[in-house]
Amino acid sequence: MDLLAQVVANGVLLGGLYAVMALGLALVWGVLNIVNLAHGAFIMLGGYAAWHLYRLAGIDPFAGLPIVAIVMFAAGYAIQRGLLNLVVRAPMFNTLLITFGLEVVFTYCAQLAFSADFRTINPPYAGSNVALGPVTLPVARLAAFAVALALTVGMWLFLLHTRLGRAIRATAQNLVAARLYGVAPRHLYAVTFGLGVALAGMSGALYGTVSQVNPYIGATLTAKSFAISIIGGLDSPLGVIVGGLFLGIVESLTTLYVGPTYADVASFGILVLVLIVRPSGLLGRTA
Amino acid sequence: MSAPPAQRADAPQTPDKPQAPDKPPTWRRVAAIVVFAALAAVPWLGSDVLVQFGINALLLAVLAQAWNVIGGYAGYASFGNSVFYGLGAYGVGIAMVQWHLPFAVGLALGAAIAVVFALTLGWAVLRLRGHYFAIATLGVAQVMAAIVSNVELAGRNVGLVLPPLNDDRLFYWLALALLAAATLSVAWLTRSRFGFGLIAIRENEEGAAVMGVHTTLYKALAFAIAAFFSALAGGIHAYWITFLDPESAFDISLNVRMIIMAVFGGPGTVLGPIVGALSLSAISELLSSEVTNIAGLFFGVVVVAAVVLMPRGLADAVRGVRLHGWGYFARNVKAHRL
Amino acid sequence: MSSRLRHARSIAGAAAVLAAALAIPATVAAQEVVLGASVQLTGPVANTGRYYRDAYQIAIDKINAAGGAKIGGQSHKLALKLYDNQSDVNLSVRQYTQLVSQDKVTLLLGPFASNFALADSAVSEKYKVPMVQGGGASDQIFSRNFKYIFGTLAPASNYFASTIDMLKALKPKPASVALLYADDAFDVSVADGTRPKLKEAGLTSAMDERYSTNATDFNSLLSQVKSKNVDAVLVAGHETEILNFVRQAKSLGVAPKMYSFTVGVPSEDFRKALGKDADYAFGMTAWLPSTSLKDRWFGDAEKFAAEYKARFGYDPDYHAASGVADVETLVQAMEDASSTDPQKVRDALAKVKFDSLYGPIAFNAHGQIDLPQVVIQVQNGKLAEVYGAKGIVTQPQYPMPAWSAR
Repeated sequence: MDLLAQVVANGVLLGGLYAVMALGLALVWGVLNIVNLAHGAFIMLGGYAAWHLYRLAGIDPFAGLPIVAIVMFAAGYAIQRGLLNLVVRAPMFNTLLITFGLEVVFTYCAQLAFSADFRTINPPYAGSNVALGPVTLPVARLAAFAVALALTVGMWLFLLHTRLGRAIRATAQNLVAARLYGVAPRHLYAVTFGLGVALAGMSGALYGTVSQVNPYIGATLTAKSFAISIIGGLDSPLGVIVGGLFLGIVESLTTLYVGPTYADVASFGILVLVLIVRPSGLLGRTA
Repeated sequence: MSAPPAQRADAPQTPDKPQAPDKPPTWRRVAAIVVFAALAAVPWLGSDVLVQFGINALLLAVLAQAWNVIGGYAGYASFGNSVFYGLGAYGVGIAMVQWHLPFAVGLALGAAIAVVFALTLGWAVLRLRGHYFAIATLGVAQVMAAIVSNVELAGRNVGLVLPPLNDDRLFYWLALALLAAATLSVAWLTRSRFGFGLIAIRENEEGAAVMGVHTTLYKALAFAIAAFFSALAGGIHAYWITFLDPESAFDISLNVRMIIMAVFGGPGTVLGPIVGALSLSAISELLSSEVTNIAGLFFGVVVVAAVVLMPRGLADAVRGVRLHGWGYFARNVKAHRL
Repeated sequence: MSSRLRHARSIAGAAAVLAAALAIPATVAAQEVVLGASVQLTGPVANTGRYYRDAYQIAIDKINAAGGAKIGGQSHKLALKLYDNQSDVNLSVRQYTQLVSQDKVTLLLGPFASNFALADSAVSEKYKVPMVQGGGASDQIFSRNFKYIFGTLAPASNYFASTIDMLKALKPKPASVALLYADDAFDVSVADGTRPKLKEAGLTSAMDERYSTNATDFNSLLSQVKSKNVDAVLVAGHETEILNFVRQAKSLGVAPKMYSFTVGVPSEDFRKALGKDADYAFGMTAWLPSTSLKDRWFGDAEKFAAEYKARFGYDPDYHAASGVADVETLVQAMEDASSTDPQKVRDALAKVKFDSLYGPIAFNAHGQIDLPQVVIQVQNGKLAEVYGAKGIVTQPQYPMPAWSAR
């Protein structure tokens, strides 16, 4: 029984980390209808940014999250404004292809700049844990979980209650009408994408404290983020949390009861099932 | 070959006989035959390396052509055709290694499994549109790779080692024949009712259904055709490399590569995917051997530039530049930018 | 009209590319022995692939500085033709084909990783050009009856042999052992070889779990280790997995009496990435930079390690030593055969026997070397040789204290 509780707890914390990773992807996809295959690469770059901050300036990864966010936001804004805005009205899979190209470019540049050595972010508390009854909870994952919740709620509040958030949603729903109201779509698209990249970068910083960063982690993380976004539903940030938790728990339980090599079967199998049965996801409104 | 054709293809036809949209002039058919003959002669004229490169490029061209059927003509951009490629590879692998059957039987087995899988999967997945269809197919490819890595018969994640066959020429001609078959199928498609139906589905699916096109059946058939050729390509590749494991058989990056090649050459055309596959493979191979460090980087840059500047493919770009000069690229950007 | 021209251009373009490909010239100078290799310089395993690039280069430079290879009374300089296979097996196969048939290299050096060696050995066998590889240890590579592949990595199935011997000698003897292994060719080979040895040693197997290669999350497995109170954990995996394993063990407070890993511990950057958390970890290596391993060109292994570090900026491990041994083996075989003819060199390789900085080089009938693994442990940030062929060398730090008590 204790083992089960521990495994479920592992799954919940893993799910929190997954949710942070998927948040940026879901935002950009749900609002802008841009499917970003380079999402994992941005997570990777955020991880490197946090590693450099920690190594060179001694800045704690959690404290450094705002810095990583600002840097990544700027990068995302520039990419959307300068590049992705050029293909927004092209057929759907052009954004898939161009973001794939970006993923390749970023991965190779990272390899050239940082070498293939893996990097870990090892603040003193990275290995400590707290006990909650029979269950051991790693501190770093717990903190990441808290950050995930905070970011999700923050994103939800932002989109619903701030002017900028409402402008973003308006632009996504009806470009022409939004323009008539004086919204500058190119700027707004860039802001939204920048937010998505900032979220990705922050999740990379968190990922670096619980795992390790190398130039090639992008592809798998993109795939996971996709699965979570779809399973949870793209309509709301809360869906991402639900999707992340669901996936984390399923993977943990599958590893325990079926076998560690079946975790991917479970996650992607559920993804396909959700798409077939309920494409809008667990929390999405049925179209 | 230089004598003008007796009847021009675009001469006016009688109104009750609708003209096929893509009826190739004799000139073009002859050119295609010449190129085919040149490709067939490569094993005699070219080096071993060229033959190996050729096999790889031809198989990629088959994949691009197969994708063309479901993605280019039907408009359903599948991101998971690698699942059929892998099923074909494992069909050959299991048949030859575990059951000691000949290669041809393995090929047939792989193709059969792939087609059946396409039809059953298609029923579930072809109801989705756009992004969702793409992600669903990608998810299926991942699931299959994960499942196969647990199957004892398939050698789990370690894979299977096939009996070696030292005959690159045979593989080359097999690949070339497969490409010819795929291309001829696509050519037939462009002039058949089935093909018109697919194009109608691509342009306006509801309208097509209203007009009496059996959309579900047609989509499933297109998917099955793509699966058939992809599986055969996978089977040939497995035997040629003599080694397969889930990662290389269900290589996810193949999906994007085959799409890029088809789109680069011109989707929804007969020869576009071949041009795209051969040219991009050549570029990639030259870079890999000469400028080892940045080969992959360059490929990514080429993809980004191509999507921005020539999203309708190389064929369209060539014509566009002829008609509008370099302004063609600016026009593309202007048409698609926010 | 325009459609004709459009397609003419497309076809012409493709033809031009074909013609260019046909025209790539072969590049080889006479009187030079060219060794060809396709190594992972980019891609997910590039951080180990570079050991081979650097090892091949330093070995060739050192041998050239001493006058090159003395074949049949004449000195031949060595040259290296290296391609980056971008961690792609299929590309690696094509590059080896190019090395042999187009670049016309004399002999072949191997890639890193068993699955690469497995696929690439098919090329060396097809063209009958010997390949000496130091990157693949899986028994599968040597079970195909190929005559042209030779390997300087000790067999995978033997990796834990000396560790298990050590376990028998520890007090208190571990009551239960967990065997965790990744599902790739090398690690499956390790596990298959380890199971019977555990049985022979009378050790109880509490867990025997296969996990997916490149897994990043070991929390479930670690929780099981903790709840079953396993005493000894043996992990066969790759560096990134083992790194994650240790970090997650710490964060979950899982501290068995000992744990041992097939890779990682001998590498400097692995220990650096973990810092103090690397302490107490056991590993194995077939090579240590000791002065007792004498070498014709480098003097001994310790001098080699110093030279390597000075030139490349990081410590060599057994991958690098294995790579150097590959070059030296080919040179030795050419000298023994007094020829660069592939067939004669192959026969010389089958019989070769000499000492190098990597250890004694000799191949069994299948082409694989047989070297015993030495058990090592990270003690206070440094690598200590703990258990070898003659028993305990340095006292192992056992049992491992709880994480909070470090």
